[in-house]
Amino acid sequence: MGKYHLGEFEEIVLLTVAILQEDAYGIAIIDEIEKRLKRKVSIGSLQTVLRRLEGKDMLSSQLGEATKVRGGKRKRFFKLTSTGKKVLEDTKEQRLGLWDAIPSFVINDP
Amino acid sequence: MKDFQNINPPRLAVWILRKLLRNDLLEEVEGDLEEKFFSVLSKSNKRKAKLNYWKQVLLYMRPFAIKKTKSNYSKYSIMFIYTIKLAFRNFLKHKSSFLINLGGLSTGLACVIMIYLWVNDELQMDKFHKLDKQLHQVLLNHEESGKLNTQPSTQGILADALESEVPEVLMAVEDTDPTWFGDNFSLENDKKNIKAIGKFSGDQYFEMFSFELLHGDASIVLDDKKSVVISESLARKFYQNPEYAIGETLTWNLLQFNDKVKVTGVFKDLPNNSSESFDFIIPFQNFKDLVGDGMNWGNYNAMTYATLREGTDLASLNERLGPFVKKKAEGSNVNVFMRPYSDQHLYNKYENGKLVGGRIFYVRLFSLIALFILGIACINFMNLSTAKASRRLKEVGVKKAIGADRKLLIFQYLGESIMLSLIALVVALLIVILLLPQFNVITGKYLTLSFDPIALLIMFGITLITGLLSGSYPALYLSSFQPTEILRGKLQSKFGELWIRRGLVVFQFSLSVILIVSVLVVHRQIEFAQTTPLGYERDNVILFPKEGKANDNLDLMLSELRNIPGVAYASASNHKVVQKSGFTTGVEWEGKNPEVETRFENVASYYDFIEAMGFEIVNGRSFSREFNNEGNSVLFNETAIAEMGFTNENAVGRTIKVWGNDVTIIGVVKDFQMQSVHDKVSPVLFRFDPTFLPNMVVKMQEGQEKETLARLNKFYEDFNPGYAFQFEFMDVEYQSLYQAEEKVAYLSKYFAILAILISCLGLFGLTSFTAERRSKEIGIRKILGSGNWRILVLLSTDFTKMVVSAIVIGLPISYFLVRQWLDEFALRIELQFWFFAVAGIAALAIAWLTVGIQTVKVSKINPVDQLRNE
Repeated sequence: MGKYHLGEFEEIVLLTVAILQEDAYGIAIIDEIEKRLKRKVSIGSLQTVLRRLEGKDMLSSQLGEATKVRGGKRKRFFKLTSTGKKVLEDTKEQRLGLWDAIPSFVINDP
Repeated sequence: MKDFQNINPPRLAVWILRKLLRNDLLEEVEGDLEEKFFSVLSKSNKRKAKLNYWKQVLLYMRPFAIKKTKSNYSKYSIMFIYTIKLAFRNFLKHKSSFLINLGGLSTGLACVIMIYLWVNDELQMDKFHKLDKQLHQVLLNHEESGKLNTQPSTQGILADALESEVPEVLMAVEDTDPTWFGDNFSLENDKKNIKAIGKFSGDQYFEMFSFELLHGDASIVLDDKKSVVISESLARKFYQNPEYAIGETLTWNLLQFNDKVKVTGVFKDLPNNSSESFDFIIPFQNFKDLVGDGMNWGNYNAMTYATLREGTDLASLNERLGPFVKKKAEGSNVNVFMRPYSDQHLYNKYENGKLVGGRIFYVRLFSLIALFILGIACINFMNLSTAKASRRLKEVGVKKAIGADRKLLIFQYLGESIMLSLIALVVALLIVILLLPQFNVITGKYLTLSFDPIALLIMFGITLITGLLSGSYPALYLSSFQPTEILRGKLQSKFGELWIRRGLVVFQFSLSVILIVSVLVVHRQIEFAQTTPLGYERDNVILFPKEGKANDNLDLMLSELRNIPGVAYASASNHKVVQKSGFTTGVEWEGKNPEVETRFENVASYYDFIEAMGFEIVNGRSFSREFNNEGNSVLFNETAIAEMGFTNENAVGRTIKVWGNDVTIIGVVKDFQMQSVHDKVSPVLFRFDPTFLPNMVVKMQEGQEKETLARLNKFYEDFNPGYAFQFEFMDVEYQSLYQAEEKVAYLSKYFAILAILISCLGLFGLTSFTAERRSKEIGIRKILGSGNWRILVLLSTDFTKMVVSAIVIGLPISYFLVRQWLDEFALRIELQFWFFAVAGIAALAIAWLTVGIQTVKVSKINPVDQLRNE
């Protein structure tokens, strides 16, 4: 079992970064979350989580090339690290394990 | 995407973001926000986009993202906050020394601020004229007996000549000195007759001097000969409202002369920083008519002012101006030169043609006193802080041990002293506001505390310097210790520390001794000057202007006056005796050296004048009614007789020439002190001349002055209807000669008291500290059998030594200083031993008293209490 327990929002962010692959930067992540989960996220709260995850070594980041969009300001792209992947997988397994432990009639019962 | 080039994110929000966000986050976040902004913008409108941007920025203000303020500033800013905190704690912990320091520094600063206000006012005197830089006064150097005698009075025709012949002179204006006419000038209309200070001035007067005209045009007000320009307050006296004055007719009276003139202008009452003082001006042309033939190169009957072309080199101009009059008039002995007009107030004393100072002496003196007082207060601070150093040694040690470097410690102690001096500044300002009215009464000024940028700058400057100065020694001293040595408990007292503290106390008390001696001597000299016999009787003598019917019939007036009970003598003269008024060089005698001009004070008088004044006749007689024709009789004083090479015995009966006429010397008057005791006795000529006698003199019998004055007043109303009986006592007039000195004496007394007080405060603080530090020693001594008296002696010996050495240093310096001051006086007190003895003993007594209060308290303490807390 991993030492670290992901928070709900952390998990979403990690997953979104994984979905976006090479294109995971601030606004793209927010747009993706909004699109998929219909959930409003402020840049501030996203950055908080990104930094925290980077600090836990689950994400790595690097600055991209400057582009004309965004007034020439560079984007910071995030990538899942192997720790990140591992934590995600652990989390998934925990969840699945929990799901499996639920007697089927509890959920299926109308 | 639409084109949104003109729309940008809200600038304030961006600015906030940039200010607060961590640098490493900024680029990325700003980019994100901008992208978001434009995406919102493209979906909805500008307002929403902006609102959203704001929202995002505000939501971004999270702990992780915000700049670490502290880490980004220098350690000094943290130190700064701690300095303030520590300083306040220290103030609270050591209340007595804090109060002593605060009291000393704030009185010191208050003195400095008041003196600064005074000095500033003095320096600004007469500087308000728009043409100030170009404005000059013409002075004459008279060659007399091989020396130069500098006088401001010039020929009335000099101004015109200068203006037309000297290219650098743009304008030249003649003017008369209002004091020449005394109280004899008045203006009247059909309703009122008002005595006022008047003068005659050239027609460009108001163009040259920036006295503000309320009504009338500066360039033409004096053009018409029959015009007068009056002051606002004079206009109010005549017409209630100055506006009504213009075009009205007034009559001026000066002795037997009078004329009708029209009011062409009203000037605003003269500002306080003008050394001129007058109520009305009449065109100079009128004065020319009065003087008639007297307007020539041999008569000095006007002041002359000139404006020079900008950039004129005064020195080279003066070189060329020198012989200006000599070229015009054969045999003239005067050299012309100019000085800046605004110098007249401060630099007006000439000796042998050379500027030797004047009022500037007092300006410098008081500036020096201000510095001394502040210095004493600073020394207190230094002394107490170094003395307290041992209390704070541990603090320094700990700080150093955990990494504070020397700079930080210096910063801390300087910060502490600067803070103290800022608090002192506030207290000082309060003191100044409280005392300024009183100070104005003493100095006769209208000073106000203004907070214009320059004044503020100077005040804060002084405060900052005070803080730095008083904090510098403790700061450098405390911070220099080695932490290990401090913490190991070494360094309890160092030789250097003691030595410097002693030195400072000695310095303070030397200053106090000097001040005590100065105050004593100044006081005695002024008292002496006011009471010393001058060779004439000035008690019960009144002076009043000759006016009205007295001008028509002097003999009648005098005989009526004599008939009034209580009147001893009544006479008239051109001279007030307490002041010099006019001189002549027109005396010639047998054997006179034609190369040398001798100046005789010219006293024109009537019968009984010599008796009324109480002049003593050494030989011969005075003017008498028994002789019909006294017009050719003259008297001289002893100095004049000696100057002419005669003796008191052989002079009487001799014939000499005055202004070319043969006259006979009928008597010799004993020398008397004319003017103040500053001046040496000069030769005096008494003439009998009924034509120009503007002053009436009455000597009253002693013992019934009040009744006599009442009778005189009654008589005057009957005899001279329409004129008010306005008289002055001669002794009061005489005393007013010493106004400047009296003010100095008064002020120096207060400043001396202050200086001594501040010194005592310092000594008090120092003693209480010593007593506290030696309390264990005292306890042990007492237990071993030492009496209270022994302890008292033990504690005061040190201070006594310091004060005695201060006296030894201070007395010679003070002797030298007062010696110099007294040299200004022709008649002066002898410096006596007891002045110095008193000063020394006083200093010692004050010191003992200060030390005594503290030591007696300590010596009485129960030794058990002192030793128990271990």
